[in-house]
Amino acid sequence: MGNEKAKIRKLYAVSSGNRKYVFSNPLRDNIRIGNRKYDIKLKQDDKFGTYILWKNRKYPVEVVRSRQNRYEILFNDISYVFTIETPFGYRRMKVLSRQKGRKEKELVRSPMPGKIVDVLAREGSQVLKGEPVVILEAMKMQNEIQSPVNGTVTKISAKPGVIVNKDDVLVEIKVEA
Amino acid sequence: MSIKRILIANRGEIAVRIMKSARKMGIESVAIRTAVEPSALYLSYADVVFDNTDDESEIPVFLDIDKLINIALKTGCDAVHPGYGFLAENAYFADKCIDNKIEFIGPSPDAIYKMGNKTIARKIALSNNIPMAMGSQGNISNEEEAVKIASKIGYPVIIKAASGGGGRGMRIVRKPEDMEKMFIIASKEAEKAFNDPSVFIEKYIENPKHIEFQILGDKKGNIIHLGERECSIQRKHQKLLEEAPSSALDEKLREEMGSMAVKIAGAVGYYSAGTVEFLLDSYRKYYFMEMNTRIQVEHPVTEEITGIDLIEQQIRIANGEELRIKQKDVRIKGWAIECRINAEDVQAGFAPDPGKIEKLSMPDDDYVRVDTGVTAGSAIVSSYDSMIAKLIVKGSDRRDALKKCKLALDKVWIKGVKTTLPFFRMLIRHPKFTGGNFTTSFIEKDLDQFYYNSEYEEMLAAWLATKLFIEENLTDESIKPDFSHSREIDPWLLNKRISQF
Repeated sequence: MGNEKAKIRKLYAVSSGNRKYVFSNPLRDNIRIGNRKYDIKLKQDDKFGTYILWKNRKYPVEVVRSRQNRYEILFNDISYVFTIETPFGYRRMKVLSRQKGRKEKELVRSPMPGKIVDVLAREGSQVLKGEPVVILEAMKMQNEIQSPVNGTVTKISAKPGVIVNKDDVLVEIKVEA
Repeated sequence: MSIKRILIANRGEIAVRIMKSARKMGIESVAIRTAVEPSALYLSYADVVFDNTDDESEIPVFLDIDKLINIALKTGCDAVHPGYGFLAENAYFADKCIDNKIEFIGPSPDAIYKMGNKTIARKIALSNNIPMAMGSQGNISNEEEAVKIASKIGYPVIIKAASGGGGRGMRIVRKPEDMEKMFIIASKEAEKAFNDPSVFIEKYIENPKHIEFQILGDKKGNIIHLGERECSIQRKHQKLLEEAPSSALDEKLREEMGSMAVKIAGAVGYYSAGTVEFLLDSYRKYYFMEMNTRIQVEHPVTEEITGIDLIEQQIRIANGEELRIKQKDVRIKGWAIECRINAEDVQAGFAPDPGKIEKLSMPDDDYVRVDTGVTAGSAIVSSYDSMIAKLIVKGSDRRDALKKCKLALDKVWIKGVKTTLPFFRMLIRHPKFTGGNFTTSFIEKDLDQFYYNSEYEEMLAAWLATKLFIEENLTDESIKPDFSHSREIDPWLLNKRISQF
């Protein structure tokens, strides 16, 4: 096992927007841009917490979530999701993503914890992209949860008055072909 | 009569703000400690803290009229300041205070009632010849009537709750066939939010600017205005950034709109601080929208350019003092911008992101003012709004204020919750915003990205993710950075860490 680990010389960090960043293993504490090298330092102190020091500027960082090779990083108040792949894993990922067809079913999930105020969608009815399907109240505000696609409502799990958590499925929509 | 002790019927930054002015005037403050925020920052600004942590009621104490009156009497307060939100625009609360010989620091119950009811407010504006968007003469009782009236004024129209505010119960209708559905939604929403299903219809002004005038009136009938604020940067009718003055107004228009604001305030015998809101269309025609009978969240930008402490003025007016400032004394100097830094996730449609603020550091430059009710270690709780701080920047003109705002935004350091900072960093660089060329539909129509990240930021984040991956998977040593500040460590990851030891 230790030997196999040592063999990995390169790693790819692939962003959710499909941008690929290549790093060497072991990881260097600097990055070359053009023909200059810039140091990156990961630091922590009482006043600022964890931060990255880059070109004389501090950037706040946090690890929001990590699961297997998937990392959600909060960098300067913005979330980034990366999957870290070995060169072999990266090739496999590309093949898999090519094979994967388009989505047939869309699950509309609650973007935040809150209370369902109203369900506007009806089972079997047609909805258009951007059409409000559920009204959710969170932090004193009513939020329209909109359909992300054109399609037909196949199932409604949301009920008025019910408290939902983030990511709870509210409505299922069969995507229009 | 003179006010000696004020009950602060509010929390957060506005409670702090009120207590600062009270202290400056030699007046004592009483704050209320609640079970939701037992160690909130505002409590440390009070002379007396009333402990209400054993209250098991479902309604927050700041909405409980009888309880507040009781607390005021028990703690020997001779006045109540309602702040904004909660009971600030509740005529019954103001009335109850007066009944109990407690000064309500705000306008008369009658003025609150008349301006709070949008249908009555429209009638008053109409009879005073204040320009207004065409609309229904009063409330609309059913869909059929709504369709009939809308076709008369012409689409698009907006349905508004008669007792509304803050964007709730509002629906824009563009086609007659949508009217029935939208009418029902708006009416339902209005009933839910304000206990009153009545709605009315108005012509919808496309792409207007939101311009509001700050007014001050005393109990002797003197009313002045302190110029305008522009609050066009809003999302779903929630303001995000405000500035004063507005780049859309010249001296002539300012004077005209200001005198209209004074006129409508005079029509209800207004005293205390208040705000008259207008929409300004692309032909520079303005329309009265509503009057807010309270101190506004965005009041600091007016304070910064006029040098007038609005809370102090409110207290003096409540005390029965005559306004010492005359209209001709009001001088607008410089430019101020306020960014509402909220605990919201701009990458997830501005969804609230409550949580504990782990680190907080704000710029201390002399061009920056920070109004906040939190500090490192405070929690943003989901029972209240998501505000962390108001970052207020002052410059000599708009260009200078924008430049300083950009600098200040980079100096704000908040960890623990996601914030609206990346949104403001984007906004301050957007040519339409910096050029003054924006309307209330800016966020909806002109933006394709809601945040700003400078070159290389994603790459640096990728470097960190890779570093963690290597440390967790490819090294045998257990020397790892401490991420105890991260908000959510997957249990799976924790188990794995433990098993490695």
